[in-house]
Amino acid sequence: MMENRKHDSSPIVKIENLHLHYYTRRGIYKALNGVNLEIRRGEVLGVAGESGCGKSTLGRAIMGIIPRNAAIVEGKILVDGVDYLKPLREYFKKAKKFKPTKNQDLLKKVNEEMSKIRGQKISMVFQEPMTTLNPLLTVGYQISEVLFYHNPGLLASRRLARARATKEDTKNIVKILKEEGEGERLRQYLKNRNIMGLEDQIISIWRRKELHDLKKEQMILELCCEPISSMARGYLEQIEKTNSLPKFSKLPIVGRIVKRELLKEAFKKSAEFLGLLGIPDPDKVVYMYPHELSGGQRQRIVITTAMINNPNLVILDEPTSALDVTIQAQILELVKELKEKINSTYMFISHDLSVLSEVSDRIAIMYAGQVVEVGPKSAIFNSPKHPYTQMLMEAIPTIEAHELKGIKGEVPDMRNPPKGCMFYPRCPYAMPICKEKRPPLFKVGEDHYVACYLYGGEKK
Amino acid sequence: MIIAARKLTKYFEIKGVKNAFIRAVDDVDIEIKEGEIVGLVGESGSGKSTLGRLLIRLIDPTSGEILYNIPDDELEEYDIALENNDEKAAKKIADKYSITRLKGEDLRRFRRNVGIVFQDPYSSLDPRWKIEDIIAEPIIETKAMKPEEAKKRVEELLDEVELPREFKNRFPHELSGGQRQRVALARGIATFPKLVILDEPTSALDVSVQAEILELLRSLRKKYNMAMLFITHNISVVSYMSDRIFVMYAGKIMEKGYKNDVIKDPQHPYTIALISAVPQIKRTMQRIILKGDPPNLLNLPKGCRFHPRCPVALPVCGWTANELKPTLEFLIETKYFTEFPNVSIEIKGERELIVNNADPEKLRQVVNAEKENARVLLSIKEIASNGNSSIIRLHEYKTPKLYKLSNSREVYCLLFDPTIKERFKQP
Repeated sequence: MMENRKHDSSPIVKIENLHLHYYTRRGIYKALNGVNLEIRRGEVLGVAGESGCGKSTLGRAIMGIIPRNAAIVEGKILVDGVDYLKPLREYFKKAKKFKPTKNQDLLKKVNEEMSKIRGQKISMVFQEPMTTLNPLLTVGYQISEVLFYHNPGLLASRRLARARATKEDTKNIVKILKEEGEGERLRQYLKNRNIMGLEDQIISIWRRKELHDLKKEQMILELCCEPISSMARGYLEQIEKTNSLPKFSKLPIVGRIVKRELLKEAFKKSAEFLGLLGIPDPDKVVYMYPHELSGGQRQRIVITTAMINNPNLVILDEPTSALDVTIQAQILELVKELKEKINSTYMFISHDLSVLSEVSDRIAIMYAGQVVEVGPKSAIFNSPKHPYTQMLMEAIPTIEAHELKGIKGEVPDMRNPPKGCMFYPRCPYAMPICKEKRPPLFKVGEDHYVACYLYGGEKK
Repeated sequence: MIIAARKLTKYFEIKGVKNAFIRAVDDVDIEIKEGEIVGLVGESGSGKSTLGRLLIRLIDPTSGEILYNIPDDELEEYDIALENNDEKAAKKIADKYSITRLKGEDLRRFRRNVGIVFQDPYSSLDPRWKIEDIIAEPIIETKAMKPEEAKKRVEELLDEVELPREFKNRFPHELSGGQRQRVALARGIATFPKLVILDEPTSALDVSVQAEILELLRSLRKKYNMAMLFITHNISVVSYMSDRIFVMYAGKIMEKGYKNDVIKDPQHPYTIALISAVPQIKRTMQRIILKGDPPNLLNLPKGCRFHPRCPVALPVCGWTANELKPTLEFLIETKYFTEFPNVSIEIKGERELIVNNADPEKLRQVVNAEKENARVLLSIKEIASNGNSSIIRLHEYKTPKLYKLSNSREVYCLLFDPTIKERFKQP
């Protein structure tokens, strides 16, 4: 799977001319007006914009978590080539009058489809770490849930591997680790002995820095001979093979035993992953409730729940906006580290351009439901082309104090947006054509596109 | 000085719990000159908003003195009196300028001279009031003008904050965030105050609007020569706005000085980390990542409040046995478990630990090997033998104070204490 990701050059998400409107009692709120964007494999795409420009709506639309009054008027989102929102779009085309209730029925179907990839292929980190966690459940359970529902096969194979492995096996593993480290030979050995489930457990122990080598050895030697009740064993093997939970409606007790076994395993895996993110005492933290943790810790937990299944795409929606600068610095460092460790694609949404400049490869600037400029980070910061981007840069205060210039005027009313370019009413370079027609994306440099008539089209 | 506070302290009681206080502001000295913009930076929960509110007596301090409009020489006299514990002389000056005991008409008169702008323009304006009434409220409430004059003043103020005059008959919900903040600003300066407290005035706004509001604030300052206390968590904004900067952490001022000195050449380890943590488009500084979180204000660390997170903490910065125990336990359990079987650790006092079944020589080796990674181990003064076990004694800690570096610059850090510097010279 890892290899696939590297060589596949097609974008993981492709958004084509997406129009999304909210039907509200006070009129139609046009949140997205023709978004064109692609997220490429392995990159960090930063999405910037002021409040109300549709950046969060875009992130949510990719995940398919939109409310029932959201109509897909036009355009599509291709996630790995699949257009999940198709039924909604077709409904809107057919329907004479948009009805949220009808839309909701279709959304349910979309949700069913998408829940197969949510948490597994794509996942999302939300803004408020205080509200995204359930205060009634331990954080370990909340991480475990993701594993339990989306990846039970992994849990079963981890558990079974510990049952299958003999003392002899673990001794051999320690020997291999000492000689060659965590390389191909270890993998081969595990494969031959049919205990592949041990791999991530061994590696997560072996990589811990604070432990003495002897302690690590001892811990690895303990990964064996853990008996499973014979009742559960068969089911676990079945789960390992199919990677889905069988229905236990006729056998409630067995179901409970299997479920408990899997959840216990999920707690273990959660603690391992938290340790990887640099949370001290992960074995205790998994049994804590969200209120016992600080804001930064909570955000780490939320990031863990999003990352634990190695998703191909992670959407981070303002993950640091509610945090203090020193904690924000910790989280940004973490994101950078994860980028190295786990080969995923990230979409990082933020209103703060300087935060994006720290983490992203490419940056898209949004204004009033449109992408007005997109390009490599260096191009956006060194030679911003769109008047809005230029003015935004001048409005950001930096430590090295420079003259600030605000942008006069207001964001257009999205219930009644201007016909032409959205930025036209505030733009100092506005031309007659800007009032009439919405500009498409013009190429202005290597991989750098701008939606502005200053850079192409019929100039007057 | 337009306002000066000495030993200002505010403890919030916790209802239902005896002797439990949230120490929001603890023994803080601050002074603001006429016409000066002072930036107060700190993370959430550092007590910066509480300090701002104390200064204009929106809340009453637990102890300490706030002196309003005090001439510089008398403030100096007051400081000297405090230093010499000369209560009589101090009281004489305090009686003249203090606002902590004002009541009734006097308090009202004082309130004419100060204004405040709150953080969230969505919740600080009453949705049932017209803009006109909102702006006129402080004028009428402090009896600065007659109601008829107040109406005229509202129009002037609307011009001042660059809003159209017809807005006076509107309600807050009809306005955008930036416009609302302008209304809040107009209310803050309605009575021609000499001091305005700006409590995070732009953090709820978008950058493009923020820039405009900051510009407006600057022009107002120029026009009326108001002093401003700019409270914010955003160092970039402070560096744009203010003349002097106070950095706050867990209820204490950590560093103060002129803007350029503090931003370009921070001295306190916390300020250094704070400034390096600000995301920058063109990074010029090595980033320092602080471990852990700010302390709980209920149960503050001893000595310097920053020492558990400090990357350069000294042995005397305030470490106690309570902090050492978990570190030692962790090391013995994970890394050195082969050398120390059946070890248990007991706390014998704030500065004494007993490690049962451990050889002092071996312990010393461990401490020496791990010193670099865990600064708490530096605080070990000696490891003595006691039969089968070892006794660990810690250095006595010292609480820092604000040390003067130059005329305008003060830092709350033991690194700048001359006696300490001599004792723990770092290579």
